[in-house]
Amino acid sequence: MKRIQDLPTLRIDPTQGRSLTFEGRPYQGYAGDTVASALFAGGIRVFGRSLKYHRPRGLYSLDGECSNTCVAVDGIPNVRAETTLLKDGMRVTAQNVKGSARFDLMGFMDKLDWLMPAGFYYRTLHKPAAIWPLAMKQVRKAAGLGIMAPDFKMPGRYDEIYPTADVCVIGGGAAGMTAALAAAESGLRVVLLEMRPWLGGSFDYRVQPCADGRPLHERARELARQVAETPQIRCFTQTAMVGAYSNNLITAFQVGGNEDPFDERYIEIRAQSVVVATGCIERPLLFDHNERPGVMQAGCAQRLARTYGILPGKEAVFSVGHDLGLETALDLCDLGVRIHCVADCRQDGQDPELLQALAEHSIPVLTGWVAAKAHGGRHVKGVTLATVEGTVKRRLACDLLVASAGLTPVNGPLILAQAPLAYDAHTGYFLPTALPAKMFTAGRMTGRNHPAAIEASGRNAGLRAAAACGADNGAARAEASSALEALPGPERGSKLVTAPVRGRKSFICFDEDATVKNVKQAVAMGFDVPELIKRFTSAGTGPGQGGIPGHNLPLVTARMTASAATPKPTTVRPPLVPTYLATYAGRHHTMTKRTPVHDAQAAAGGIFRRIGVWERARYFSDDQDCREEILNVRRNVGLLDASTLGKFRLHGPDALRALQRVYVSDMRKLSPGRIKYSAMCNDDGCVIDDGVVVKRTENDYYFTTSTARAGQTIEWIRYHTRYDDWAFHLVNLTDAMGVVNIAGPKARQVLEKVADTDVSSTAFPFAAYREFTIKSEIPVRAMRLGFVGELSYELHAASSWMPALWEILEEAGQALGVKPFGVEAQNVLRMEKGHIILGQESEQRTNLLDLGLGFLWDRTKSDAKTVGAVALRQAEHDADRLKLVGLRMEDNASAPRDGSIIVDERIRGYVCTARKSFTTGEAVGMALVDAPLAGLGTRLAIFEDESDGQLRYARVVAMPFYDPEGARMKM
Amino acid sequence: MALTLTCPICGPRCGYEFRYGGEDKGPRPAEADLSPRAWCDYVHMNRCTAGLQKEWWCHKDGCGSWFTTWRDTVRNLEVPEPAAVETSS
Repeated sequence: MKRIQDLPTLRIDPTQGRSLTFEGRPYQGYAGDTVASALFAGGIRVFGRSLKYHRPRGLYSLDGECSNTCVAVDGIPNVRAETTLLKDGMRVTAQNVKGSARFDLMGFMDKLDWLMPAGFYYRTLHKPAAIWPLAMKQVRKAAGLGIMAPDFKMPGRYDEIYPTADVCVIGGGAAGMTAALAAAESGLRVVLLEMRPWLGGSFDYRVQPCADGRPLHERARELARQVAETPQIRCFTQTAMVGAYSNNLITAFQVGGNEDPFDERYIEIRAQSVVVATGCIERPLLFDHNERPGVMQAGCAQRLARTYGILPGKEAVFSVGHDLGLETALDLCDLGVRIHCVADCRQDGQDPELLQALAEHSIPVLTGWVAAKAHGGRHVKGVTLATVEGTVKRRLACDLLVASAGLTPVNGPLILAQAPLAYDAHTGYFLPTALPAKMFTAGRMTGRNHPAAIEASGRNAGLRAAAACGADNGAARAEASSALEALPGPERGSKLVTAPVRGRKSFICFDEDATVKNVKQAVAMGFDVPELIKRFTSAGTGPGQGGIPGHNLPLVTARMTASAATPKPTTVRPPLVPTYLATYAGRHHTMTKRTPVHDAQAAAGGIFRRIGVWERARYFSDDQDCREEILNVRRNVGLLDASTLGKFRLHGPDALRALQRVYVSDMRKLSPGRIKYSAMCNDDGCVIDDGVVVKRTENDYYFTTSTARAGQTIEWIRYHTRYDDWAFHLVNLTDAMGVVNIAGPKARQVLEKVADTDVSSTAFPFAAYREFTIKSEIPVRAMRLGFVGELSYELHAASSWMPALWEILEEAGQALGVKPFGVEAQNVLRMEKGHIILGQESEQRTNLLDLGLGFLWDRTKSDAKTVGAVALRQAEHDADRLKLVGLRMEDNASAPRDGSIIVDERIRGYVCTARKSFTTGEAVGMALVDAPLAGLGTRLAIFEDESDGQLRYARVVAMPFYDPEGARMKM
Repeated sequence: MALTLTCPICGPRCGYEFRYGGEDKGPRPAEADLSPRAWCDYVHMNRCTAGLQKEWWCHKDGCGSWFTTWRDTVRNLEVPEPAAVETSS
């Protein structure tokens, strides 16, 4: 179709073509087109088929209020064609069709509506119960929206931003723009959200003159220019508001253009005050076949012509209930559509100037008339008009039926903000009876339609929103308020509920194929509240979020029940507009920390795995059993990067009291130069952390925590001392310091070469703590520990020194066979020694006693109110707990997998860690088992995944499995 | 999260930055003669007030401090401390 090219209101660029395909056939559009406008221009009238009855559906509005024009684009289902800008090469297909949109093999469903009264799923398909699974399959085949391939991967880039603003204005029409400009006058920061790709709202395409005689679209562009020139206003176009929460938190999502670095992004705006200026949509007219392709709303018809240059039809009949409909008829007549007749359901109240203009255009106006039935199969061919009482009828031929009962405010944002709404008899709208704190409304949604009043209400709301942020603008507000009062106020709205029809084919909700008759059936069954009827008939539960039935359902219900004067609105919930889950998921960053010796380990062939927040070297060869790494530690010497350990300084006059509160041991017994191994419990006595504590000087302690606890430790200690007002400081040194563990029988020989101190066993015995320098340069804190069961030293040094320290140790140990080892080798080495790793040998319910660590607990310090002590005292007498035991497999060939369960008649425990030990040649491990099974020699049956039900057996044995006397770590 | 909280050090901040630390139940009870039930009540039982309550929050993604504040649990909004008269009645 040739477009009208010389309109000042056009939003397409006819010099830039864009191609697309629909159901395999090529079509042409232009830059600025939506998918829907391009297809409509290409002659497409049937976009898809309806949910239940497979009725043909076409363009009805242009803002995506219903699923009529939901299509699949490049594999993405349920794309709203009306609001999706056309991009070159889009592949578009119709939804819920067998065959094509025009020739749908399921079209016969439309004749079966008598089989499917309101709530028929609930009422007919449950008896006998066996029917339902079969019925469900058939229902799913016949009904539905788009289909997504199970292996579909969502393309695109998704982002998120969290701007703050003083004032957030929702809606970039004339009222929203004036509100934003007024609020910005006081220098406040304003965020302006607009759903369409441009500002302007209903002014954008209208040619009526505004106060100074220029057409409204020029005024809209002038306001948009002013907004663009105001630096405090940050404007988001193509941005649909989707949620409103307390404290005026507004959420929205923005669709990106070609220039943007995102396809869609989530926006969360924390504003002090909010102006809602979302305007009105048209209230659908209820008559028979009211959703036939060719029936469309007035705004849709006018915008097709004015914004996209497409004439919506050749021979038109109008059935409207507001002045905008009359305005549209005049405009389309001027643009070349033949208007046969305008039926206006209002008996009076029309703008006399518009009536006179219609008369001058020789367009007959029938007041008190309304469309009763649309004729035609896949497209409108004619219409039967009737008086609103239904006493007289006339049939006219046409190919376009512009139908609209009145206007309805877009008050979703107000409902989300929990503003109470009530029916207003003058406007016929649901209007807020009260507004949340610092929230204001403006524009057409308040019932005002006069262009100057729309702008004045915007200015008024903008100034009040600014005042709510503390702006001193009392004089301006008084002036704006009296200016608004001098202008026409809210206008009387059309009260027509339905055309005089029975309603079997009058659709109240297009998305869910719910008719006026369905509502009647629901009322007959005793439902009397719109909210319940909505659920029973499913009217308003589709993707359009009640955009089509939101206003009509309460009106129809009120008329059918005894509450005609007080219709009750249904509610809406976020997101107000369908949003991709990908948009909420955002960029999905993977963020990890690397230790200071990451590069050195990578150079040595380290294979890294993500462990908690860290990337750690798990293996140093392809052998995932780590045979060489393990044996090298047992025979020679190995280096382990333990920099991920939590490291803390705790100092101050009350430092000891804080330690006594959180550690189960008595920290008074700490002496300088000695290390104390201890644990922290929670209030249930369950172990949450273990590590070592060192007293460096009076009131100055250094302690380590497990890797996983490093992030929460300060918060934990502060929490459990929050009432005490103690004077101590906590410094998290986890990232500031690194740790290398040098372990193996030759560890001392390596250290001797580089340490500026005597490291002999007499000078630096087991469980001692020393501070010295390496190569007269690097200060280290050294702890002689034995986690892996060999002679070993943990050297703690500033992160910046760590690469050098690592290199020095590697060089010094070269002749002694020093090799790095990874986390898995350490895991096996310490398991052989019976040392636990929290989270591996414990779970949330495992307490200190279960792990056999009761010896750490000092019960004499009850004054300290140690966290977990009370619970441990109670748990001591509890025989019904899991206990940590050592086990040896009966068949020594291999160990069961970690996490395998221990069973008899029921589950009795699980294997924590088990490995084939290269050191001892036996398959051994640790397990948590029910206390009665914990005795030495007990035979345990182990069930392993994918074992075909074959149980494996083990005996409970004493731990440790390696060097029970501990001679090797003390050598 | 729509909730904003006022950290005594950092000022009003987005609720995402904080960790909830439970109702304000007072300091840990002394351990001498503490019955298991009294202990369990202290640790696990909550008043679950529908309305204004004093509670602990940690500014975990900020200064790290623990502080108490008042919140209306029905509207999920931070509120000023109510006048003292309510506790005496």
